[in-house]
Amino acid sequence: MSDYKLENIDNGYKSYKQIIDFYDYYKDGFFQTINVHIENWFGGNMAAVLGSVSDLLMENLNTINFVIKDVEIKNLLLRNGFLSYYGHDIEIDDRHTTIKYLKIKPTDGRFFNNYIFGELINRPELPEMSQPLKKKITESIYELYVNAQIHSNTKFVYTCGQLFPAKNKIEFTFVDTGRGFKNVVNSALEPFGRHFNANQAIRWAIKDKNSTKGDVSGGIGLAILIEFIKLNKGKLQIVSDNGFYLLDETGEKDYDFPTSFPGSIINISVRTDDDASYSLIGEINNNDLF
Amino acid sequence: METIELFIYNIVGSQLCIEAEDGQKVYEKIKKGFDENKRISLSFQNIEMITTAFLNTAVGQLYRDYPEDKIRSSMEVKDIAPDDAKRIKRVTDTAKVFYKDPEERLRKSIDEILGEK
Repeated sequence: MSDYKLENIDNGYKSYKQIIDFYDYYKDGFFQTINVHIENWFGGNMAAVLGSVSDLLMENLNTINFVIKDVEIKNLLLRNGFLSYYGHDIEIDDRHTTIKYLKIKPTDGRFFNNYIFGELINRPELPEMSQPLKKKITESIYELYVNAQIHSNTKFVYTCGQLFPAKNKIEFTFVDTGRGFKNVVNSALEPFGRHFNANQAIRWAIKDKNSTKGDVSGGIGLAILIEFIKLNKGKLQIVSDNGFYLLDETGEKDYDFPTSFPGSIINISVRTDDDASYSLIGEINNNDLF
Repeated sequence: METIELFIYNIVGSQLCIEAEDGQKVYEKIKKGFDENKRISLSFQNIEMITTAFLNTAVGQLYRDYPEDKIRSSMEVKDIAPDDAKRIKRVTDTAKVFYKDPEERLRKSIDEILGEK
């Protein structure tokens, strides 16, 4: 029996580090019972990150118990459905502020559509926002989903989000436990005898037109996401292996973690009171598309 | 040249054109038409959402198989929202660059990253 404490988990560097360290600490062990104490604060969307690493630890037949004394945290993780994967009943979100924790196979596109429509598109309690903005958010999430489908080789993808109606903000986190940016990009670069570290691999992958797919053109999805986040003045974080890329109003930065996340995390924070125009600048001529 | 109209909604069976696999179905139909020297009219009627992954396989990879002139003179798009048309343009512009000199393009992109650090 072992105890591990996670505290003040929000979307900052230290929070990601805590969860990655938690995984790293137990990843080589088997048949352990781990009591994870969650204290002080837990951002709802981070359930996707915690769920992904917990699943990997449970693959080694470890048992994970979440010990949550704080009523608010427990209530949140019940309402977003996270704890229902760990021996608790499914509860109704009576505050209507969560975007449910979801764990699905990357091939289960139909189910993912139902989730996106149920949790985002058709949701009456979403913070007020323009239709084009809503479409942009949804498109971005779909781009992440297909990216994971094509590149990550993950068993499952994990998503979770949180609505902040008073702050006019939506947080959404998308996680896979697949190959990670570094491995995927370095495989493609192998013939050139070059090697990227995790942050270089992320920087390469987010550049417009850079694609690891040999036969089919691509490399647009993440670039479009970045353009959208910049226009929206929102926030984007990408964690993969020991790399951490951050884009916010102050610009782009990257940081290293001492240990590695086994896959990729993409977290977006979108301002819903954004009045930027997402309609086209200038005309597009349908005769000039090809 | 005879024009064949392809309804994306019918081919994909959904208003959501998300997955690359669905784009592949569209690509195969276009290819069949091209190989028989037909003109293709792609209708996006009733389509609500399109990802670039879908478009890369549906139309992007045509630039691997056919000259730009052939695609330009044999394809038209109908019933499409302006935003989605812009997405197609972006995908085709990318594909044109992608298939031109893949090796040189990759080499350059590596140097850009390593040079930045």
